[in-house]
Amino acid sequence: MAKTVFVGMSGGVDSSVSALLLKEQGYKVTGIYMKNWSKDLPGMKCPWAEDLADAKRVAVKLGIDFEVWDFEDAYREKVVEYMLEEFRKGNTPNPDVMCNQEIKFKLFYEEAIKRGADYIATGHYARVIDGKLARAVDENKDQTYFLYRISDGALAHTLFPIGEMLKPEVKKLAEERGLHNAYKKESMGVCFVGEVGMKDFLKEYIDIKPGEIREIESEKVLGYHEGAVFYTIGQRHGLYLNGVAGEINDGLPYYVVAKDLDKNIVYVSKNLNDEHIWTDELELKNVVLRAQPMTSLSRSGARPAGLSPQAAGATARFAKLRTPLRQDSDVAHKDILVRLRHRAPLIPAKIIFKEADAAILEFENKIKRPASGQSAVIYDGEICLGGGIIA
Amino acid sequence: MGLYLWEICYNMFMIYLDHAAATPVSRKVLQAMEPYFTQDFFNPSAAYLPAKKVAAEYEAAKNTIAHAIGAKGTDIVITAGATEANNLAFTAVTQHNHGKGEVLYLETEHDSVRAVAQQHDGRAIKVLPSGLINLEDLKAKITDDTTLISVSLANNELGTIQPLAEIGSLVREIRVDRLKRGIKIPIYLHSDASQALNLLDINVARLGVDMLTLNAAKIYGPKGVGALYVAHDVKLSPLTMGGGQEKGLRAGTENVPGVIGFATAIKEAKEHLNGNRKKYKSFKQILLSELQGYELINKKHTLDNFVVLCYNGIDAERLIYLLEEKEIYVATGAACAASKGQKSHVLTAIGLSDTEIAGSLRLTLGETNTEEQIHEAAQIINEVVATERERING
Repeated sequence: MAKTVFVGMSGGVDSSVSALLLKEQGYKVTGIYMKNWSKDLPGMKCPWAEDLADAKRVAVKLGIDFEVWDFEDAYREKVVEYMLEEFRKGNTPNPDVMCNQEIKFKLFYEEAIKRGADYIATGHYARVIDGKLARAVDENKDQTYFLYRISDGALAHTLFPIGEMLKPEVKKLAEERGLHNAYKKESMGVCFVGEVGMKDFLKEYIDIKPGEIREIESEKVLGYHEGAVFYTIGQRHGLYLNGVAGEINDGLPYYVVAKDLDKNIVYVSKNLNDEHIWTDELELKNVVLRAQPMTSLSRSGARPAGLSPQAAGATARFAKLRTPLRQDSDVAHKDILVRLRHRAPLIPAKIIFKEADAAILEFENKIKRPASGQSAVIYDGEICLGGGIIA
Repeated sequence: MGLYLWEICYNMFMIYLDHAAATPVSRKVLQAMEPYFTQDFFNPSAAYLPAKKVAAEYEAAKNTIAHAIGAKGTDIVITAGATEANNLAFTAVTQHNHGKGEVLYLETEHDSVRAVAQQHDGRAIKVLPSGLINLEDLKAKITDDTTLISVSLANNELGTIQPLAEIGSLVREIRVDRLKRGIKIPIYLHSDASQALNLLDINVARLGVDMLTLNAAKIYGPKGVGALYVAHDVKLSPLTMGGGQEKGLRAGTENVPGVIGFATAIKEAKEHLNGNRKKYKSFKQILLSELQGYELINKKHTLDNFVVLCYNGIDAERLIYLLEEKEIYVATGAACAASKGQKSHVLTAIGLSDTEIAGSLRLTLGETNTEEQIHEAAQIINEVVATERERING
């Protein structure tokens, strides 16, 4: 008998093609639109109703069942509240990571299993290899950065139908099968924030407290900001630096290098080498480790000869770890790869566990410091080992 | 005279059964409007003769619109569509009774009435399972502070025609009674006639309304043009401020081509009224006899071009997408994505269950339709419904 799959359909081309592929592979497919957020923001109409219509139209075209599952309360509580709380603390959280962990691969997964599904599926660019989370074939689209915290239990029942495909192939297939959303504009960033941007979203929910912008070296007040929580370390835009024009008009931009949330002061610097911006180590908290792959020693295929080690995209696909990562030791594991932002290049690094869920990442060369609250995701070759939140 | 390409399109390549949502601009309307975009583009407020000529033609067009409902041109305020006209009507509440007047509106009203009525803390009048106004509920809810009652002439989801004349005489009785008792608070009756303008013979005096909303876009006229008929003693406040056009109630340079188009459309509607009603009645009969496995939702007192069906156990929104692939365009009032996922307040109000609401399909006939199309549509709808039932059972 055909296996049953519940596929999350967002109305976009990726999840539509995922549903199409599953149907063609002979699964009994039910499309689910997860209604996570429907509130309009000032100046922005939440596009959920149109997204839902797009998803449903595809489901009807494929002749599969379709349902809307309402996760608005849980989403508000587990994703939005978490995000606001992190911003209030001065961090820059990643709500998509939380959405996957708490909603798509938890509530959606659990409900689907309860309803008799053998698998869930999503339109993420990711793969499952031997039960392990692995980067997508389309390195440019890989979404494992957002998936590193999903449970291994859910992963064992998850299909990523487009993980082996390149985005242009996905689009082409949608076009060939007459899926109307083949050319739909890709949603960027956090769905509920949409086009208005995070700052405008936060203004709706977080009290704005204007404060000073100071130069870190001189402590001089250069201007005023709308609220320290809106600024991220390393950011160079949106500084209203008036008042001392003579000194700042040398054409060099200022960067946010520090925030004092208690005093509501944002510190900036023109010095691109400011120690606050660069670092060769990062502290991680809330570290999760996924099920470990076999180490490279126990596998026959190490990196094929003749491949330039500099070709990161290529070499990064081959496992290098000689022993499994262990969280309870002070041992340093070399040869892991780290991704600090979605689609950012993979950087070789060393990880040293301090506690079960706390670790230090060490880099050979200095890196631009990512904002606290963002995720660092670690890989051995193409297998995602897990990751943690940057402290 | 040959056909335009767009006329060929809607005659040959699609079957459009959603005339309650929008109508194509008729050829006559388009031709009448065209010169006012180009050679007669003048601002009616300008001083020179060509502009004065345009101003005169604009007033004549307003007269044509007004005469079609038994009113005078000076009783008409041109608006940018029916929503705006409905909003304008409700300003009567703030202009009378120190703004403390109470508002009553039919629970099945269009959102453009509901939203503004709710802003005035309006109370909803119940409908009967037939979709007709519950007159007892209306009487019970009228108080000495009731200033405005809004009841659409025909409902946009069901096509139900409300007994406006009856409500109008009730309002007149209340008025007399208030005078007798020395109560100076006025009471007005407003009706949105957007859906009915080309399907009923409308006369404001006969209906007993004080305000009536009209819409060009539903009668093969241009979108973005509407009008509010306003009886003499009703005081309104402006929606837009500016150069004092439209009796100071709707400032902004006159939409001359739009109003010319509206007048042409309303004239055509009058001419075709009886012929079209007869045609739609026969089309409706064809649909009802050839379609299979449905329940008729709007059984009586409905516009001739409205057919609302329920396919029990089926999600009618799926039918929309399936029919769309066959280039047949229909609508649903069900909990559909297009309606922001909310189930229809109209179908809820007439007491349909959730599954009945989900299964309901609205077909609205119009001038683009031919008898041949109606037979074809019935056949294809039957096929699609059968396929969908198979999918559910298989």
